Amino acid sequence: MNNELPKEYLRFNVIERIQHVILFITFLLLTFTGWALKYPEITIEHQRWWISMWGGAKTAGLIHRIAGITMLIDFVWHVIYLGYMLSTGKMKVRKDTTIVPLPKDISDLIKNMLYFLGIGKEKPQFGRFSYIHKFDYWAVFWGMGIIGASGFFLAFPVQVSFLFPSWSVNWMWEVISIMHSDEALLAIVFILFWHFYNEHLKWDKFPMSTTWITGKITMEQMRHEHPLEYELEFGSKKGANK
Amino acid sequence: MRRFLVIVFLWLFLLCLTYSASAETFTCLACHSAMKGKIRTEGGTVIDVNVDSERYATSVHGGFDCLMCHKQFSLNPHEPAKIGNIPKNIAALAGKIAHKAKVDPVALAACTECHDSVYNMVQESVHGKNVIEKKQSDGALCTDCHGSPHYITPKSTATSLVNKKNIVKTCGECHENENLAKKYDFGTHILDRYYESFHGKKYVIGHPNAPTCVNCHSYHDIRMWDDPKSPVAWDNRTATCGKCHKGATKKFVTAITHKPIGKHNPIPYWFEKGLIVLLLSVFAFIVGHVVIEAFAEIRDRVFRKGGGH
Repeated sequence: MNNELPKEYLRFNVIERIQHVILFITFLLLTFTGWALKYPEITIEHQRWWISMWGGAKTAGLIHRIAGITMLIDFVWHVIYLGYMLSTGKMKVRKDTTIVPLPKDISDLIKNMLYFLGIGKEKPQFGRFSYIHKFDYWAVFWGMGIIGASGFFLAFPVQVSFLFPSWSVNWMWEVISIMHSDEALLAIVFILFWHFYNEHLKWDKFPMSTTWITGKITMEQMRHEHPLEYELEFGSKKGANK
Repeated sequence: MRRFLVIVFLWLFLLCLTYSASAETFTCLACHSAMKGKIRTEGGTVIDVNVDSERYATSVHGGFDCLMCHKQFSLNPHEPAKIGNIPKNIAALAGKIAHKAKVDPVALAACTECHDSVYNMVQESVHGKNVIEKKQSDGALCTDCHGSPHYITPKSTATSLVNKKNIVKTCGECHENENLAKKYDFGTHILDRYYESFHGKKYVIGHPNAPTCVNCHSYHDIRMWDDPKSPVAWDNRTATCGKCHKGATKKFVTAITHKPIGKHNPIPYWFEKGLIVLLLSVFAFIVGHVVIEAFAEIRDRVFRKGGGH
């Protein structure tokens, strides 16, 4: 190992880590307290038991609203933070480090699938964010828009009713309820499969990657998982490559 | 000592007389609590003339004499009924609802003796008018919602049919009935749509503030929505919804329709279908991706010895 190279690389700064912690705590609270409303007509005994674990329907509803608003505030904070970082030049949009989806992500996906299936010989080379990370990240944005907005409408129905034209109120609330409930299911399944597999269950990550606490990854990981970013950051330092 | 015992026994005896049904009730129940099966009346209706004396004793009417309601019968059992002894208002009401009462129209009318203001409301309601004005025998009166008067328990008890826990099911007895729905042109989907709504979901999981049918539609004086006195009539809705949703506006109160999702309400229907397609495609993609990646990972670790990076 070259002495010029640090042993670890700071992937997420402290603000990003706090935002993530708030996000997952509120996400779990929302999931747990909201779940009883998802299929009450099918498994009513379980749902009644489950809701009693959260202090009854009234308390669970209060927790759900508080967690929801906290999550929305966290989201707004994140967007403002991004705006600040980009406008001050502390964060730059570069091909190999950006979270913005690029055509390369599609070809990476195809390449990866072919590799998994044993057809392709090589894995794709990822930058700071692979298409897997990008999907994970933008799914949250999508969820914030759809579930966050519909949840806000449902929490304050009288106050937001002026937003909807009168010809739409007949079906608008149906649409909002469906939106909130179905998209929440999508978010839960997405986190359970996509995020849990990629950040917890993978061979070298199990039981979880500690990056969410320390913000750091090892140079070894950096080289293997983010070769393009590694090249960009440390490529000039010769001897860095194996 | 003996005198004391006599006094105690006398007192207990008096207590029994005061707190339980009278001797006369015991006489009726001697037979009418031991009858099995049902009997067919002259009119051809099959009726149950048995009364569960234990349940009767614990009901709110448990202390009553039978004849307090069954006014046309005399102390001599099964002597032909005498209309003459019945107060006029009850006799008149009994005449109006005779086609509805299977067993004893006078007894069904006798509720008004104590519950007159409520009974007047019911007569003005859509349920009452259906029986009295439209002469329908399947319309709802007291016993259809409250059950047999012999077994009525306070609204706060779990056995009461109008207890909050049971009221929606009680309404559903008729409002989910296919034949009645066809006859009176109401949809059987109402309860399903209620259960699917946030109000219904909250009710099912036991939220104390969740509204049931009666919180919006009222009960004894329930009316059609196009009756201006109905709480869900267009002009009264802001007040009705406003009981929970403070500041409810005209725009807000149109939100609840119980409309079936489908042909008549295509936007939510297709929106939900679209969302399901989206959900299933995302599920298929992520689950498929995770599964083949996991297999590839095992293949690399076990058979290719950490290759692939």
